[in-house]
Amino acid sequence: MPITGLLLGTALGFAMQRGRFCVTGAFRDVWISRNTRWLTAFMMVIAIQSAGIFALAALGVIDLQSKAFPWLATIVGAFIFGFAIVLAGGCATGTYYRSGEGLVGSWLALVFYALFSSIMKTGPLAQLTALLRGITVRQGNIYQTLGISPWVLVALLAAVVVIMARHHLARPGFKMAALPPEKTGLAHLLFEKPWGAFASAAVIGIIAIAAWPLSSATGRNDGLGITTPSANLIGFLTTGNIKLVDWGVYLVLGLLLGSFAAAKTSGEFRVRVPDAKQAVKSVAGGALMGVGASLAGGCTIGNAMVQTAQFSFQGWVAFGVMILGTGAAAKLTIRRTGSTAPAVAKPARSSVGV
Amino acid sequence: MVKTLETDGQVCPFPLVEAQNAIRDLSAGDELIINFDCTQATDAIPRWAAENGYPVTNFVKVGDAQWSITVQKA
Repeated sequence: MPITGLLLGTALGFAMQRGRFCVTGAFRDVWISRNTRWLTAFMMVIAIQSAGIFALAALGVIDLQSKAFPWLATIVGAFIFGFAIVLAGGCATGTYYRSGEGLVGSWLALVFYALFSSIMKTGPLAQLTALLRGITVRQGNIYQTLGISPWVLVALLAAVVVIMARHHLARPGFKMAALPPEKTGLAHLLFEKPWGAFASAAVIGIIAIAAWPLSSATGRNDGLGITTPSANLIGFLTTGNIKLVDWGVYLVLGLLLGSFAAAKTSGEFRVRVPDAKQAVKSVAGGALMGVGASLAGGCTIGNAMVQTAQFSFQGWVAFGVMILGTGAAAKLTIRRTGSTAPAVAKPARSSVGV
Repeated sequence: MVKTLETDGQVCPFPLVEAQNAIRDLSAGDELIINFDCTQATDAIPRWAAENGYPVTNFVKVGDAQWSITVQKA
């Protein structure tokens, strides 16, 4: 039933919009504010999903397969992708959910991301992608290479996440200003109250686990994924080949629906038009996202959240290199004015605007 | 003194970056009104204020996807 993809995608879009779950922000904050709060939340999703999918695999519900590691394409692609998401102002899922919030800049980024994914995967550059992704090392995942149980890594990851989360949660006396509530009860909880980084991470982790058996049941043996489904959507729209519309395509369509529903019901939907500079950045960022994610074998979700949960080398290398790419772009495009910042010709307001 | 910063149309992290830049020029007790329409900033700006010990004297949703927050420099 591919329709489960639509339902799960809707839930994911809803959760990400309400949770303000922004992976670009998580990676960027590491560099511009030396803050790991959202990165911790992101790693919490990996840890929750990892425990869930290895349990499902042990029960025989899903089959986790290990592939050779295309190291060159992963490194090059992940850097490009990490850089591009700063220009576009959101990673792949971020771009989908901001599109649902009415940001026209994200609409541009989304169209170019999907188009360039299609060009790289099945279009004129497919051979280049195949050539680069053909350069591999045989060892595909960490636990098989080390000859240990995956549960050792699950436990290790969980321990790291607990330590990081404690660091962010153990802050006596920390009180943040909140918006005055206009709704009550369940409506307040669902459509108004900010969910917070860690509650959102728990919800998204559970959605990421559920994706595996639901997707596998339709013959797509994978978890959450954005890039290939986006390319497939373009393929379907331009060729009419209905076979391309698999569980993953329903998932990304659900993302749009879910984030729109969340934004609309909470009064956070409004069509917002970017200025010319940002529009150009959105287009360039979107196109580079498509190129980078296709080479790397996935975006921040497919690679940094789903491949990592399987402890594949591709996932963890992509995760690390994406953060480096984001750092490079943040250093180049996000500058503070004033005495502490390096001298720049123009103030931040006019020279940036991602 | 009260200074108003219009950041509508700018996506995150720029409303926050602008606020950080603007508050540097203010004296203790001055207020900075930040108008913004980036959803993520509903978390990022009050968190930044709290972490720096700046009181938030006003925080309201003024319309669909539009907010205003007033941060006092301390």
